Formats: sequence, C-alpha cells, structure tokens
Amino acid sequence: MEIIILPLILSLLAAFTGSKINKTVWGLLSFVSLFAMVYMKQHYGIHNDGVWHNTYDVPWFSNGIHFTLGIDGLTGLMILLTNLLVPIIILSIQTNNQKSLIPLILFMQAALNGVFMAKDGLMFYIFWELALIPIYFICLLYSSKDAFKTTIKFFIYTFIGSLAMLASLIYLYLKTENHSFAYDELLSVQLNYSESIWVGAGFLFAFAVKIPIFPFHSWQANTYTNAPAQGSMLLSGIMLKMGLYGLLRWFMPMAGESIAFFQPIVILLAVIGIIYGAVIAIKQNDLKRLIAFSSLSHVGLIAAGFMTLSAVGIQGGVLQMFVHGINVVALFYIVEIIETHAGSRELSKLGGLAKFNRLFAALYLIVVLGTAAVPLTNGFPGELLLLKSVFDYNTITGVFAGLTIILCAVYMLRMYQFSMLGEGKASLKEIGLMKMIPLLILVALVIFIGVCPQLIIDQISPSIQKIMLEISNSKGVLS
Amino acid sequence: MIGILIVFIGAVLVLFLGLNKPEGGMKTLSSLVLFLAGVLSLLESLSILNFERLSNWAPKNMIDFSKGDLMFVSLLAFVTAAIIAIFPTVEEKGSDRLGLMMLSLTGAFMMIGADHLVMLFLGIEVLSIPLYVLAGSDKHNLRSNEAAIKYFLMGAFSTAIFLLGCAFIYGGSGSLSLSEISLRMSIVGHLSEFPALIKVGVILMSTGLLFKVSAFPFHFWAPDVYEGSPNKVTTFMAVVVKIAGFVAFANYLQAFEALASWYSKWLIILAVCTIIFGNIAAISQKTVKRTLAYSSIAHAGYLLLFLITPMKANMWILFAYSVAYALSTVVLFYFNDKYSTKKEYGFGMFSGLLKNNQSATILMVISLFSIAGIPVTVGFTAKYYLFTSAFEVSPLAVGIALLGSAISIMYYFKAFKPMFESAESNTNEAHASKILFVVYLMVAASIVFGMFPYLFERCF
Repeated sequence: MEIIILPLILSLLAAFTGSKINKTVWGLLSFVSLFAMVYMKQHYGIHNDGVWHNTYDVPWFSNGIHFTLGIDGLTGLMILLTNLLVPIIILSIQTNNQKSLIPLILFMQAALNGVFMAKDGLMFYIFWELALIPIYFICLLYSSKDAFKTTIKFFIYTFIGSLAMLASLIYLYLKTENHSFAYDELLSVQLNYSESIWVGAGFLFAFAVKIPIFPFHSWQANTYTNAPAQGSMLLSGIMLKMGLYGLLRWFMPMAGESIAFFQPIVILLAVIGIIYGAVIAIKQNDLKRLIAFSSLSHVGLIAAGFMTLSAVGIQGGVLQMFVHGINVVALFYIVEIIETHAGSRELSKLGGLAKFNRLFAALYLIVVLGTAAVPLTNGFPGELLLLKSVFDYNTITGVFAGLTIILCAVYMLRMYQFSMLGEGKASLKEIGLMKMIPLLILVALVIFIGVCPQLIIDQISPSIQKIMLEISNSKGVLS
Repeated sequence: MIGILIVFIGAVLVLFLGLNKPEGGMKTLSSLVLFLAGVLSLLESLSILNFERLSNWAPKNMIDFSKGDLMFVSLLAFVTAAIIAIFPTVEEKGSDRLGLMMLSLTGAFMMIGADHLVMLFLGIEVLSIPLYVLAGSDKHNLRSNEAAIKYFLMGAFSTAIFLLGCAFIYGGSGSLSLSEISLRMSIVGHLSEFPALIKVGVILMSTGLLFKVSAFPFHFWAPDVYEGSPNKVTTFMAVVVKIAGFVAFANYLQAFEALASWYSKWLIILAVCTIIFGNIAAISQKTVKRTLAYSSIAHAGYLLLFLITPMKANMWILFAYSVAYALSTVVLFYFNDKYSTKKEYGFGMFSGLLKNNQSATILMVISLFSIAGIPVTVGFTAKYYLFTSAFEVSPLAVGIALLGSAISIMYYFKAFKPMFESAESNTNEAHASKILFVVYLMVAASIVFGMFPYLFERCF
C-alpha cells in the first residue's frame, strides 16, 4: 500500500507546485518509494517462500471484490524494477518546460506498483487501465509529431486488449462459487476445454498487445519513436513488463487448461517476432526506432521462454525482464543524451562521437554489450537460460530463436559503430556530471547482475515453483 | 409523492411569477425548489423522513414510489437543478421555459412511480408536451423550429402506438394495473398459454418507450432534435427523459417477467444494434452536439442490456449507470454550450484549452474518461456492474458492448486533439472564463462514486 500511496502523494504535490521545484529534487524524492519497499519487507515480515502474501486487504466493491495487495518474489522483483527505474527516468528529464511530465510519471509509478501487487482480478484490471492513462498523456502532450494519431492508435489497441481481458476476468468471476475476484478463487475455477480457450484468448490478447507479440506490435514503433524519451523508457522499460508479468501470473495459471492449445501458436509467433524485429532493427536509421524493434525481438524471446513452461525458461524470462528493463532504459537514456548533445539521433548524421567524451563512450559500450548478451554482462545469463528452454522445447525453433544472438550483435554493434566510431560528422557537447550519474548507476547494475545473476534467481525461484505448481494443477501439461 | 408536489407547485409558481420577466430572475428560485425536492426525496428514500400521510392521498394502485424509485426521483431533481443552475439564461423574456422544464420533470416523476398503465401514459404525456414547446423555444432559429415539429410529430405517433399497446394488454389480461397484471400472469404460468394479445401489447408499448429512449430502430429523430433544440433543453432530453424512460421501461417490463425469455432475445438484438449503430455513427460526426447525441444513443444501447437482467434485484445497477451517465453528459453539454460560438461548433471549439484554462481541461478529461468508462471514474464502475450482470444472460451481447465502448474512445478522445494543441492566434474568448462550482462538484462526484461504488447498493 505504501508504495502506491507515496508516489500518488508526490504526484499531486508535483502537480500543484508546478515547475517551481527542480526536477532533480523530484528524482531524489521518488527514491523514497524504494526505501518504502525495504520498510514494507521489514514491516510485514515477509519470507520469500513462494507464497503470495497479502499485505493489504479490505473489502471494496460490494460483492466479493477486495482491495487486495500481495507480495512475493516475482512481484518484489517487478516493483523493485519499477521503483528503481522511475527515479532514473525522472532524473533523465533534460528540459524544464514539460510541466506535467513529473506528476504523470509519478502517477504512473503508483499504477504500475498496483498492477504488480494486485491480488484481485478487478483491481488488476483497474490498475492496468490506470497505468495506461498517464503514458497516454505523456505521449500526447510531448510527442514530437503526429501526436494524436499515434497515441490514439496505441490507446485503442491496448484498450481493446484490456477489455478482452476484462471479459475473461468477468467470465471467471461468474464461475467462482461465491462470486469473488480474489486471485485464489479465480484460480480454483475449473473450465472445460472450449471455455478455457475463450478465457485464455481474452487474457492472451491483452498481454500480446502490451508485450507486444508479433502481429500485435504495429502500435509500438511509432509510439516509441514519437514519444518523449521518458515515455519510451516507461513504455519499454516497465510497461511492457506488465504484459509479460500478466502472461506468467494471470494467463498461464488461470487458463491453464488451454495452454496446450496456445503454446505452439505463441512460441511460433514469438520466434517470428524475434527474427522480424531483429532484421528490421538492422536496417533502421533512427536510433529510437532501432531500439523499439530490438525491444520487440528481445521480449519475443522472453514470451517464448515463458510458454515453454519449463523452470529454466521461466527463470530466465523473469531475470531477463529485469535485465531488459535496465538495458533498454539505459539505451533510451543514451539516445536522449546523444540527441540533446549532438543534435540528432539519426545514424546517418552521427559518427565519431567517442573522442569527445571517453567516459560516455565506455558506458555506452558496456550497455551495448549487455544488450548483445556478452558473457559477464547482465544480458547473458537470462538469454542463455531462455535459449536453452526454447531449444529443449523444439530444436528447430531453438535454432531460429538462437539467431537472435547474432542478429542482436549485428544491430547493436552497428548502432555503436555508426554513432560513436568512424569519421566525425557531428560533435558532442560537454555532458555534465549530474547527467552521467543515472547512467553510471545503470551500468553498475549491468555489470553487477552479469557477474552474480544467482542473487536474483534465488529471489524468484520459490515463487516460480509455486506458479508452475499452479499451472500444472490446472491441467497437467507439466509432468 | 413529495417530489411531485413540490416540483409541480414550483412549476406553477415559476410560470406565473415569471410571466413576461427575464429568465434570470427565476433561475435561483427554480433550482432551489428542485434542490429541495431532491433532498426531501433522498431523505425519504433513506427512511430518515416519512411522508406517509401524503402518499396515502394518492390511490395506491395508480402511483406508488418504492425506495428505489425515490432515489431516481431525487437524482432527476438534482440533475435538473444543476442543468438550470449551470446553463446561461436566455436574454429575452421567458421564464416560462424554466416552468415548462419543471412541469416536464413532474411527468418524469409520474413515469417513475407509475403502477398503472394509465398513469404511465399520463406521465409520458406530461413529460413530452412541455418538451415539444421547449424544443422550439429558440424561436428565431430555423433548426429549433425543425426540431420542435419533428419531435412533436414523431412523439405523437409513438404515444399513439403506446396507447394502442395498452389497449391490447387490457384486452389480453383484463387489467391495467401493473401489479395486477403481474399477479395474473404468474398464475397462468406457462409461456404458450398467454393470449397473443398480450405479446402484441408488449411489443407496441415497448415501441413507444424505445422511441422515448431513442433506441434502434426508433432513434432517427434524436440527432436532429438534439442538434436543433437549445443546449439546455437538449441536455434535459438527453439525461432526464432517457433515465425516466428506462426506469419506466424497467418497471413495466417487470410486470411481464413471465415473458422474459421471449422478450429478452429481442431486446438483446435491439441493444446490440443500438450499440453498434450509435457508436459507429458517432465517429463521423463533425459537431460536438451531434457526437453527444449519437453517444447518448449508444448509451441507450448499453442500458437496454440492463432490461434483460433480473431487474428487481438489480435496480441499483440502473441507478448507478444513470448517475454516471447524467454526471458526465451534463458536464460535457455544459462545456459544449460554453465554448461553442456562432462560427465554431465542431471540436475546434476546444482548441488550445489546455493553455488557457487548465482546470477546465482537467474537468473535461475526467468527464470524457467517465463517459468512456475508464477506471477509476463512476462511468467504469457503472459499466462494470451493468456488463457483469448482463454477462450471465448473454456473453456475446456484452462482448459487443465492450467492443462498442472501445470504439467510443475514437470519438470521445477526438476532443483531446484540439485541447492539447498549442493555441492559435484566434483563441476562443470563452476559454478564459471561470467554471461554476457546481461543475467541479459534479466531476468530483464522478470520481468519488467511482472509488466507493458500494454506496449505490447500500442505498437500495
């Protein structure tokens, strides 16, 4: 509860004080939520035993709908990611004339925390929608061009998806014995095969749009490209994880009966997305567009890993969710710095920036290597686990998914080469130390997680075992 | 009963005191009277006050307000008070407009409380006749005249059909009292044993009411009439007439509950058609008023879904939806009225609003969210309740309704484009003016009710 209320209060404060207070102050203030998380862990005495502990539970809507928040290893990792990235995103704001940006980001933080902690179907839906509203306004107000057209497409696309999910949730709700939206009650519903396919399709559609999985990705590139840097960071760093989290936490256990039906379809689409995204990324000139498509490729692999239903795949996927959040925010931050300090983010107009600022070049390189999953960077362990799981599921799919390592290296190194090395077409202005600090934090995480990924895996594995148990309870694909 | 009495006396007072006087003078009096009626009905429905002796005057089998009905009465009284309070007064003489509006509201109350088909018919007439006049009250405007004549012809026709339906039902059941009919029907029991006269009667009466609530296929009058009438009257029609129509519809269909399996499949088809038609037609509209008119048709479609659910236990859902619909519709019509100019009555009227008036922008954004059904507004909670209860009867219809609300985003959010644009040189002067306190209150209410939705169920 604390980490939903706190950002909300900060958001209101920020809205009323306007731009009187420096953005750095807000950035530092938003770290409070991170401390609140630590406090929460102490206060509720939560053991990481895989159970999704209730931290807050009051009746809300009259009939069987509770305001329930829960926390376990998986949720903990997700809210850690959210509360870690949001301050960095706020610190990355470059100009002072985007007045509503900080309140909207803080509001988004509250909603995102809610999504990850909601333990009640309707609450999950409500927070899911609430998270959409601030990002919609961030994109609408501060997009570079075609704001209305791209954002309305984005909004309607995701809104239809969430309504499909709502329909599935209501269906499950009406099937529960005493009409309740509580997670455990929804879980205990027994569906027959055709019902479960409909329910599963509703969930899957919502998550596939958000992730996005291959044919539902058409909103993504334009939205990422036109959105302000902070919007792109929120979208790709955290919001996309909502879809993956939903896949793991809601779709797979709830509609477990239908997984056998959806498994090959989703894995096929995800693998198509991996290659499609990577191939298109190679051809991009606009850095933000490049990252958008690389993101499509990376999350495709995570979704495929989840759907293999193997412990390895799910562990790797959850780890990769965290890692991808850090990497993609770092990449967008780098692009933002290049754009403001070198005047352009088009590869054809950049080049030779490395000699202007060695430190920046080094940090950039580490992030690029991390994204390309070089050993000892954070991208490696997750990707290895994911590829292993996809390989075990089906060798041919595994081979195709494995192409991602090569293709990713191609477009990432191309990105680095054409912007930082070679002949100088542009020059980089002096970058202040304050602007380097967020990047330094992110790079430290890239290396730290690369060296000891086991820390995170230990945190999440009890919850993952529990979730896998729930999935197998609901039908028996796992043996 | 107290509501009808106060509003009727108030209407007569305003009519006579305000004769040949400018509207402004009577504005305060009439909204106070309506507010009083609203408060008293609310207190009576919460069993804090008791006007039993007054209610005993009225013959019991003709008109009888249940607790739920009183909630609707107070809602409509408050909404009308708000409409009168927030819309600007007309320059020329004519307080009689306010009197007529209150008279029309009395008709709405009669429809809500009616327990007898004759009373229901009287209510519809008392509601409609002042409205025919009001629709044409902007007499120098050709469109207003068109609206009046169109509304009158169509209205008269539909009332005649309604009356014919009553006759058939009397022929089939031998009674005009709704509770009596319901009793006799429950004795007969099996569906096939009902005389065909009753089914014909139900169809004809429903036609009359479907016209009043502007549901497919009897909606064609709505956009023209809404557009032509003065803004204040349009708002009154869109909110009060529609809500009263649905309450009356629900009350009278309850008497024919034995036929539910027969009529609900037709209602589902009508609801789906209304939702699809209203939403799709709204997308291509150029003026704000017409867009809102089509949006109100779409909302009639969602409300039709209510009629297929078990209604008696679910009246609070209808109430929740009415509150949600009334709050956001009134606020949106208010902004349309405030910012439209002679030249600009399309979405361009909001151009640059964010720059000129931030609080107005926030109010409009929340109202649009509420009418589109996005959490945490009351629009979402009401839609949630409605769709959940209808889901058990027809999942497919609810699926289409959900799709419809996704489509509705396309036209509701059209307003955002000009609103967030950087203002051009010819900014709208009205943008700078202050927003009335009542509007703030209504928008705040739509958030509070959205966050504490159990209030609705507790009141019933």
